[in-house]
Amino acid sequence: MTSVTSVTLEDTEKRIRYLLVKDFKLDSGKLTLDARLDELGVDSIGMAELIFSIEDEFGLKLADAAVQLSTFGEVVQFIDEALANRHATTAPFPKAYALPTAT
Amino acid sequence: MRRVAVTGIGLVSPLGHDAAAVFEAARDGRSGIHRLQIAGAHRLAAPLAATVQFDVTQHFEPLQARLLDRFSQFAVVAARRALADAGCDLSEAERERAGIFLGNGMGGTLSMDEGYQTLYGENSDRIKPTMILKGMHNAPAAWIGIENGWRGPNLTYSTACSSSSVAIGEAWLRLACGATDVAIAGGCEAPLSLGSLKAWEVLRTLASEDTADPTRSCKPFSRNRSGMVLAEGAAFVVLESWERALARGAAIHGELIGYGLTTDASHIARPSVDGQAAAITAALASAGIAADEVDAINAHGTGTQANDVAETAAIKRVFGARASQIPISATKALHGHLLGAAGALEFVLSLLALKHNTALPTMHLDVADPECDLDYVADVARAGAAGRTMLSNSFAFGGTNAVLALRAVD
Repeated sequence: MTSVTSVTLEDTEKRIRYLLVKDFKLDSGKLTLDARLDELGVDSIGMAELIFSIEDEFGLKLADAAVQLSTFGEVVQFIDEALANRHATTAPFPKAYALPTAT
Repeated sequence: MRRVAVTGIGLVSPLGHDAAAVFEAARDGRSGIHRLQIAGAHRLAAPLAATVQFDVTQHFEPLQARLLDRFSQFAVVAARRALADAGCDLSEAERERAGIFLGNGMGGTLSMDEGYQTLYGENSDRIKPTMILKGMHNAPAAWIGIENGWRGPNLTYSTACSSSSVAIGEAWLRLACGATDVAIAGGCEAPLSLGSLKAWEVLRTLASEDTADPTRSCKPFSRNRSGMVLAEGAAFVVLESWERALARGAAIHGELIGYGLTTDASHIARPSVDGQAAAITAALASAGIAADEVDAINAHGTGTQANDVAETAAIKRVFGARASQIPISATKALHGHLLGAAGALEFVLSLLALKHNTALPTMHLDVADPECDLDYVADVARAGAAGRTMLSNSFAFGGTNAVLALRAVD
C-alpha cells in the first residue's frame, strides 16, 4: 500500500512540476515541496490558471472548494487525494512526456 | 493657469523606438506600412498594417508577461522610455499626486479574440483566467501605475481615434490648474487581431492595397485615397509644471499650451465640419492665441474619403484665406492609424517638427483632389516651415474632437 501511494505521489509531483515549469517558467530547482507558490510568483490568478492546467493534465474536474493551497507540496497532496478519490488510474497520461511503462 | 512642459518622450512605434529615429523616418518618408502576416490574413481584402518590432522577453519576466496583453506591454515600455528621457525622480509626496492619463480605443483585443476563439471556435470552456485582466481598457494605465508607484489619478479615456489626444489634453488641464505636478500621458493600441481587422474592413474604412507598392497604400488627401491602414504601438509624454521642469534643469521638448475638446453630437461615424472647426477654435481659445499665430498643423488625415474632405473644410472655416498658407502634415501615410495611440504619436511628431522647425511631409499624395486643396506638404519635408506654434488634430467615431496646441521652446 505504501509503495503504491508513494509511486502515485511521485508521479503527481512530477506532472505538476512539469506544468509549473512549462506555464510559469519557474525554476524547477526552487520547487521544493515546502516552497510557497505565491513567493515564486504564482499568485491567486496564477493558481486559477494552474488549476485549469491540472484539470486538463489529469482529466480531473475539481469542485470550487474553498481550499487554501500555499506550498507546492500542498498542491501535490491535494491533487493526489483528488485522484485517489476518483480512481486515479483512469486519468489520461500526458502527451508531452513519456512515463515508465513498467509501473 | 500654470504653464506645462513636455520633458519626456517614449515611443513604441512602427517608425521606430526613439524620437530621433521616428522623426527621421517621418521626415524622409519611410513607410512603416507593409503586408501583414497573421493567421487568417488571406481572409482580408487587403492584409496591410504598420507593425512594431517588439521582443517581449527583453522587457518582461515570463510571469509578468503572461498578465499583459500586447497593448499593455507597449504602454509600459513606452512609459519607461518617456520617464527615462525625462530623467525625473519623484518624491514620495509627488507620487501621491502624480497622474497617468491614457487613451485607448479597442482594449486588449488580441486577448479577447484569443478567448473567443477558444470559446466559440474550439467550443471549449478553457478560456484563460487572465482574459479579463488582459482585455480591460484600463489595464495599461494600471500597470504603469503599479510599476512606478504613482498613486494619483489613473485614468483611461476611450474616445476611439481621439483617445490619446483627449488623454494628453485632460492631463494638461490637471497640470495647468495645479491638481497634479507630474503626469504621464499618451496612448497605446494593439488592434491587429483578425477579428478587429475584419470588423474595420467590413465598415469600409480600410485602404485597398497599392499593388505596385503596398507601403504606399495609405494616401491622405490624395484623390485616389481608399482608406486608412491599421497600426499598433504606443506613445507617451511626461508632462510637468513649467516651474518644476525649470527648477530641476530638465531638457524641455516643448510646451503644451492649449486643448480644444468638442463633440459632434450628430452622427456616430460621419465627421462634422462644425464639430472639428469648433475644436480647433476651442484649442486656440484655451491657448490664448489668435488663428494667425498657428504656423503648422498635424492633421488627423486618415486617408478616408470622409475625413480628409471634412478636415480640409474645418481648417478653411477657422483660418479663412490664410488656410492655404499653413503647412498641413498627415503622417498616418507612414505610421498608419494607431487608433487610440494615434493622437499621442502625432503630438510627439508635432513636438519634433517644431524642435527641428521642419514641416513633415504628407506622403503618397499622388493625385490632387479639388475638395482637398490646401498645402499638405506633399511628399517632401519642408525645412524651416513648422515655425513656433502647431496644432495636432484628432477626430473620432463617436464625434469626440480633440485638438492640442503646442509651442517650441524659445
